[in-house]
Amino acid sequence: MSYVIAAYGLTVGLLLLYAVSLRRERARLREQLSRGGESNPG
Amino acid sequence: MTDHTSSPWHRATAGLLFVLAALWIYLVWNAPIDRVQGVVQKILYVHPPTAFAMYLGFVLTGVGGALYLWRGDARYDRFAASSAEVGVLFAVLMLLSGPIWAKGTWGKWWSWDLRLTLTLVQFMVYVAYLLLRSFTEGSERAARFAAVYGIIGVVLIPLNYFAIDLAAGRSIHPENLGDGSLGEGMRAPFWAGVVTSLTAFAYLLVRRLEVGGLRAEAAHREAHDALGAEG
Repeated sequence: MSYVIAAYGLTVGLLLLYAVSLRRERARLREQLSRGGESNPG
Repeated sequence: MTDHTSSPWHRATAGLLFVLAALWIYLVWNAPIDRVQGVVQKILYVHPPTAFAMYLGFVLTGVGGALYLWRGDARYDRFAASSAEVGVLFAVLMLLSGPIWAKGTWGKWWSWDLRLTLTLVQFMVYVAYLLLRSFTEGSERAARFAAVYGIIGVVLIPLNYFAIDLAAGRSIHPENLGDGSLGEGMRAPFWAGVVTSLTAFAYLLVRRLEVGGLRAEAAHREAHDALGAEG
């Protein structure tokens, strides 16, 4: 049973980690772009 | 092509993924225990599905590369790079769940047979692709080279898939699934795993494309600001 838990746990865990890292990167870039937009309107 | 304005795609794939993942967990939990391998056989419902998503990622890398060479649109290049990155993630998942299953059934983590060795080679080929992209970000020449590399890399997919047939009985890896390979009650959790894995791939690819689009926009704005400062 421990092998099954390890296989599923690693798969789901790493997928979630990657999804969270993309979400954070997206938020950071949006923030950076919106700040740039404020400082350089037009 | 979708860029960072693709939030409806993101919401659609997220909702579908949630429903499919719940169904997949239910079916795996209720799947029958294999008489020969025991409960460790349930890794079947996660290991090949991640392999299918990996294959899809690498096919799309080649498709994106070909479209970039044909049309010269940077969005296709970003599509190829995003597909490769998500494909490599699924390759990692497959290369983790496979040895765990092997240890539970063969008694050892790894065997240098044709299928396993080709899988490792394929993984390294696409890691090299990502390294090339990361060292040469923004270069058109590198994008063209990466496109050719990604198209050539597709050759490894059928080679990997049919490695067991090529090994002609000398492979320790189980044969590819065919009619009747799955026992009673095993088809539904298996195909639910495949569809869930491909949907997870789509969800992550959409997210990765959004990030790629935003990165390109930020780089473009930085270059524009630098030119403005010089002028």
